[in-house]
Amino acid sequence: MSERPEKKKHVMEDAEEIKQILGAVSTEVPGLIKSIIASVFSEEAGKSMGKAAAAFYKELKDSGMPDTVAVKMTEDYISVFTSLGDVLKKAGGHGGKLRLDVSKGKPEVESEKEMEGGTPAQELEKEIERRVRQRLAERRREDEEDED
Amino acid sequence: MGRSLLIVSVISAAVNVTRLLSSLLIIYLTLGWKVRKAKKAFEKELIKQGMPKEDAKRMSARYAALKDEALNTLKRSIRTFS
Repeated sequence: MSERPEKKKHVMEDAEEIKQILGAVSTEVPGLIKSIIASVFSEEAGKSMGKAAAAFYKELKDSGMPDTVAVKMTEDYISVFTSLGDVLKKAGGHGGKLRLDVSKGKPEVESEKEMEGGTPAQELEKEIERRVRQRLAERRREDEEDED
Repeated sequence: MGRSLLIVSVISAAVNVTRLLSSLLIIYLTLGWKVRKAKKAFEKELIKQGMPKEDAKRMSARYAALKDEALNTLKRSIRTFS
């Protein structure tokens, strides 16, 4: 019988907690997104990026570069700023999908490339693991030789 | 007393969610306008330094394409988590 008020109290606490979390999220998240967007897509940001690209182009032209080459190089220069998708893909482990394995209780990375034999990140991981094992084996051998 | 507090909590949580969703919708709707303004400013600066208009337009289009890229990345990540 004493379980019911306890349960009720627990529900109340949960509701209050969710209310507080949602209150914080609803005020903080839009502000954060707005500032991120403003740092890339605002008149000021466009102007400063344009200034940088224009200065680059002008320098190339002043140093006697043909017009087409200068334009091409400026385009490449701009693509450094604008290749956000590539940056995010790389940051996210080459487009790996995050899957939560409930049975293990930890997230696992799964990607389409993984099925084909491993992404460069995985290859790097394997290579590092292989070298560490090799080094450990060498050290163990050295220790054994010292003991002998 | 307990029940009324619970109702207040649920209502205020619903209000917060609505506020969050409406803020995100406003951000999404005004994004296109912001991108257009940024693109124009970008193009203007390039033309000011003597770049041909067509080339400046092509480059500013690449800059504007960044918005689609960002939205696609966001959609992909939402799809991944859901």
